[in-house]
Amino acid sequence: MIEFKNVSFSYEKGKKILDDVSFTISDGESVGLIGANGAGKSTIMNLFLGLRFPSEGSAFVEGILVDKEHLSEVRRKIGFVLQNSDNQMFMPTVYEDMIFGPMNYGHSKEEVDQMVDTVLEELGLTYLKNRYNHKISGGEKRMAAIATVLAMRPRVILMDEPSTALDPVNRRTVINTINKLSQTKLIASHDLDMILDTCDRVILISEGRVVADGPTLEILKDRELLENNRMELPFCLQGYKG
Amino acid sequence: MHMADALLNPGVAGVMYAASAVAAGVSVKTLKKDETASKLPVMAVSSALIFAGQMINYTIPGTGSSGHLCGGMLLTALLGPQAGFLSMIVILLIQALFFADGGLMALGANCWNMAFYGCFVGYYLLWKPIMNSKLFSGLGTKGAGRIKIALCSIIGCILTLQLGAFSVVLETSISGITELPFGAFVGIMQPIHLAIGLVEGLITTVVLLFIYETRPELIMDVPMGEGEGANSKLSLKAVVAVLAAVVIVVGGGLSLFASSNPDGLEWSMFGNEEAGYSANMGLDEENYGVQSGVADTLGGVQEKTAFLPDYAFQGSDSAAGTSVSGIVGSAMVAVVAIGVCFAGGFFRKKAAKAEVKAEEVSESVEK
Amino acid sequence: MDKLGKAQSELLEMDEIASGKSFVHRLHPLAKLVVTIVYIIFVVSFDKYNFTGLVPMVLFPVFIYQLAGVPVSLCFKKLRYVLPLVLAVGIVNPFFDNVPMLHLGNMVITGGVLSMLTLMLKGVLSIMASFILVATTKIDAICAALRKIHVPDIIVTLILLTYRYVGVMISEVSIMNNAYKLRAPGQKGIHFSAWGSFLGQLFLRSMDRAEELYSSMQLRAFKGEFYYADVHPATISSYVYVVVSILFFALFRFVDVSNLFGSLII
Repeated sequence: MIEFKNVSFSYEKGKKILDDVSFTISDGESVGLIGANGAGKSTIMNLFLGLRFPSEGSAFVEGILVDKEHLSEVRRKIGFVLQNSDNQMFMPTVYEDMIFGPMNYGHSKEEVDQMVDTVLEELGLTYLKNRYNHKISGGEKRMAAIATVLAMRPRVILMDEPSTALDPVNRRTVINTINKLSQTKLIASHDLDMILDTCDRVILISEGRVVADGPTLEILKDRELLENNRMELPFCLQGYKG
Repeated sequence: MHMADALLNPGVAGVMYAASAVAAGVSVKTLKKDETASKLPVMAVSSALIFAGQMINYTIPGTGSSGHLCGGMLLTALLGPQAGFLSMIVILLIQALFFADGGLMALGANCWNMAFYGCFVGYYLLWKPIMNSKLFSGLGTKGAGRIKIALCSIIGCILTLQLGAFSVVLETSISGITELPFGAFVGIMQPIHLAIGLVEGLITTVVLLFIYETRPELIMDVPMGEGEGANSKLSLKAVVAVLAAVVIVVGGGLSLFASSNPDGLEWSMFGNEEAGYSANMGLDEENYGVQSGVADTLGGVQEKTAFLPDYAFQGSDSAAGTSVSGIVGSAMVAVVAIGVCFAGGFFRKKAAKAEVKAEEVSESVEK
Repeated sequence: MDKLGKAQSELLEMDEIASGKSFVHRLHPLAKLVVTIVYIIFVVSFDKYNFTGLVPMVLFPVFIYQLAGVPVSLCFKKLRYVLPLVLAVGIVNPFFDNVPMLHLGNMVITGGVLSMLTLMLKGVLSIMASFILVATTKIDAICAALRKIHVPDIIVTLILLTYRYVGVMISEVSIMNNAYKLRAPGQKGIHFSAWGSFLGQLFLRSMDRAEELYSSMQLRAFKGEFYYADVHPATISSYVYVVVSILFFALFRFVDVSNLFGSLII
């Protein structure tokens, strides 16, 4: 479960990037976060991850307040899949990247190895284990990045544009993988078709405020709402006259 | 300026390794552990960028040629001397390993020549004192910052490359590798690296100025002008103009200095490539020793500076030397070596064929 | 192809070769590192006139190349960086050192010629040896060896991190370089007016990348510690390899094998 309570955020002296945002995502829910460039999606992610802290209001992850004091507790519960997998995968091999997080939490090598094997098997990626990060394809890298996050056994997963720059088959693989995950998920993306396939609920933000929050289809078929907020209907609904 | 393994003897290489290792050790110690953790990504990404940036051609205005970047001063200004030094070591190591640029044994010397001077001497002798000084304070914070960056970068690059080039000469001469008299060697290397240093300095300056305009907090020790920007008394254009003037003055001064060693300058004007220089030198050589005054002085310098007496191994059949039977034996070794190559290729092909056959067999079995 | 593209394909090529499975590939990385360094030290310690004595040393790399299944020709491509400098330094020797050392019929070979040839051979041999190390050992194995000889962790980590991003940065720089060239036909390189913004932009973008990289470390509870896959412990063959190689080097260094062979015939 993650929660924003009246969160506002601004850089020093700057204009407000988030303005009084509140929402709750309950256990196991899969929520899409949509909005134009600069609407505040990344900031919302960063506030949950404790990379930034709210100027007003508070963020909670699994009931724990996100602040400097609880940072390590919060980060144990939450995983983040970055948009650029190259920045996420900084170790030489996929295996070494996967053990990075768990080892930092002080698990024993045997435990970690077992966790890694289980995750790879679940995702059908065992063949990637000893491959080098600089030699695997973009699609494999994205899947491996998801695996590094899963290896930490998070309760909540945040994803930033998980489907960008992937070919159709890889994109579909990622979508199927997301659907298999039972964790609480918050997925920020412009790929509305992917959101339609993976999320039960959508939060639409614009200029730092929540404009709409409701069931996916209800929001994504609302042409007027989307276009007023610099979005458009998902491609699969573009012939749809609602 | 990358030295090859062959240009050093093991003793000199060892000493240079020790020197660089001490500098690296001090750097590791100085960087506090928590600071290191946050600096590592920046160091890695910057050294990877410098590595790639070294492969780009920068056209030098007014000439047909292009210059390259080495990056010691640039990394220092951005990361500080310790982190800069460690990053440079890593760049040099990757070059030595994967591109055979430099060598494993010469790595210590290369780190010293190309990284130590740029990072430590450049920072503590120039960058830090000048940045913290009140020089040019009449030009406003931003203006002073710009001119100081230009000054440090250009003088720093020239100075540190001169030191590096001189070290190359020193190391090679002490190693007893070259017959070239020390004075003449210095006379070739220093002017070449004067030009290289100037270009490096210019590249460093403009890159740092660009960053100074956009994100000044990324550069070490620079004065932060709050919100003056365009109103500063010294515009960016003016800095570039001043820059050009500095280059001419510094370049002129240094070439005057260099011309006090006429042979060096003469050689330095023959061509641009290092190999070219030497070839020209060869032509020039016939007159060497015949020319009166200058040659005499140079000869004197040579005698005083020669670290290994030149003709120590005279006598055609000395144990260390080469003999006719040695040549015959060498030829035999060469034949063996070529034989090994062919035999290896032959067996590999055979093995590959056997593998293919085995696969065919297994396939047919499957069927 | 430009320099950047070449560098990238060269890195990939090395990576490919280093993934081989030969006897040499399977040796312990530290054993290979030690043998390489000892070999280079022996090679450069030969007397500057002892060309023929040095020649037998060529047998070691040639033999190992064959054992590892690495084509020797690949290594010669790498000579282009270092050989010009060695050549430049060596080529002056014949002019300064005119003392006749050897008479072959009517031909007189001077000390300068001999020392030039020796120097060049030293250059080639030391590169052949370093090349065989990288061609049979992956970068992380080399780093494991470095950790074994107590090179500080921060340096080893920095090598791996940098190596990881060299490819990424090369492709980024190369994209920008191509974009520049497409809009600047006929220019040989980056024009002076764009030096600052070209590298500066790249640098700023790299800083953003570094920041993101660091947050991704922090999110996984980074405390300054890196963990690597285990390196297999040294097998007996690795020890044997070190001892036998060094014995051979010593033999070639202290016994003039060429001379011996030659005198058998003459």
